[in-house]
Amino acid sequence: MNGFVLTPVEYVGRWSISTVRSVGKAGYLTTGALRALKNVEIWGPRLVPQMVSVGVESVPIALFIAMFTGIVLALQASYTLTGAVPMYLVGTMVGKSMVLELGPVLTGLSLAGRVGASTAAEVGTMRVTEQIDALETLAYDPLAYLVVPRVLAGVLMFPVVIVLASGVGIVTGWAASLWLLDMSSAEFVRGLRLFFEPFDIQFAVIKSLSFGLIVTSVGSFYGFHAKGGAGGVGVAATRAVVVSSVLILVLDAFWAVVLL
Amino acid sequence: MSIVLKDVHRAFGANQVLRGLDLEVLDGETLSIIGFSGAGKSVILKHMVGLLQPDSGDVFVDGQIVSELELEELNEIRRDIGYVFQFAALFDSMNIADNVAMGLRRISGMYDEEIMARVRECLALVDLEGTEDRYPSELSGGMLKRAGLARAIATKPTYLLYDEPTTGLDPVTVTVIDRLIVRMKEELGVTGVVVTHDIDSAYRISDRIAMLHEGRIRTSGTVDEIKGSDDLLLRSFLEGRPELAERAS
Repeated sequence: MNGFVLTPVEYVGRWSISTVRSVGKAGYLTTGALRALKNVEIWGPRLVPQMVSVGVESVPIALFIAMFTGIVLALQASYTLTGAVPMYLVGTMVGKSMVLELGPVLTGLSLAGRVGASTAAEVGTMRVTEQIDALETLAYDPLAYLVVPRVLAGVLMFPVVIVLASGVGIVTGWAASLWLLDMSSAEFVRGLRLFFEPFDIQFAVIKSLSFGLIVTSVGSFYGFHAKGGAGGVGVAATRAVVVSSVLILVLDAFWAVVLL
Repeated sequence: MSIVLKDVHRAFGANQVLRGLDLEVLDGETLSIIGFSGAGKSVILKHMVGLLQPDSGDVFVDGQIVSELELEELNEIRRDIGYVFQFAALFDSMNIADNVAMGLRRISGMYDEEIMARVRECLALVDLEGTEDRYPSELSGGMLKRAGLARAIATKPTYLLYDEPTTGLDPVTVTVIDRLIVRMKEELGVTGVVVTHDIDSAYRISDRIAMLHEGRIRTSGTVDEIKGSDDLLLRSFLEGRPELAERAS
């Protein structure tokens, strides 16, 4: 190193070492969490409270976002389609967009903020205040106690919240079409049903499961490896949100390529 | 039944903290480990309970090498070791009763009534009756330490490891904690290892004192032997005189 300036080679070297180390830690955490699945007596009692925290308490923000997304979708569809194609296609666009894309992705991103940050902050605070060490000394596997119930709750509850949000988005899109676009319910529903495939729901659920897995795993990972007090917890929470959000977008594209 | 560390080396990055440490904790004694800040005293405790693994060397607890144990076996050993953390490390989302009950809930066959009876018994031992429903954020520093001690003794361990039990407390509370440590030994018969900077406290509670310096035990002995030692570095630490440390090095 020349003073405080890194040469490109040093920068690449450090980045490579850091990346390999992170992958190793992630692998270690993943295998440990899989092994911890057998400790049902530890994670079992904590699953329902985590489902409430990850899922039920996320419903208001998810519905709030979905509500306005549905309205905007209907208005933008009308703006784009007027005079070109039949207006009932507004229902098609609202339905398809909410179920296939905007419902899962917008809800996923908002939960990456809420759930990812809180997971990283909670676990990170426990790390820097030695509460995780205390768990170990009391013969608890911290992965079974902290990570497994959170990840399972994410996998189980993200689909529920996302399906709910998509439904609310469609309902508000329908209401906007009725009251702001002078469409009839019959027209909107006709469009909604026109290109509907049951697979659309499966697609949304598969995406939601993967988003739940990613957000809670990434939050747990950064929390588990937090260090350095309050500042370290802040860094962990920020990284959890950023990395989860990026991975949600990458997974979104991945599922589109693989399943559509 | 004892804890033995043999030729233990441990580094954190480039910082070699333990450099061939040999230490034996005798059955039934209270051993205080003293040393300058950053010497690695807490690192020793964490090796004893398997929170850290040595780079080389072995840590034996009851004849078993801690680093070679499977998680289940390690947990069996951990049930026999109580750990009192420097800042108590109580679970802040739980009340004091649930904190103390945590270790007990890992023991199969204990009913809730038995667990709560044991919780009350432990809280009484550390003079914290009536705090069952309070949360850690509602307790003073001294009460937190005592609650941490109650949690550590709940499973009736053979060993108690204390990490800086009196740091940051007022003199009266320090004496209260010291008396509790002596009481744990006399009433419960536990073997204690205390990491401390507080030399007066070490004199009051210890059967033996060991000084850690540069990754090894520099000197150890009974309280009287330590008080009478002419090792300049030890005297520097005991008397708070940095000039003696300079002369020693």
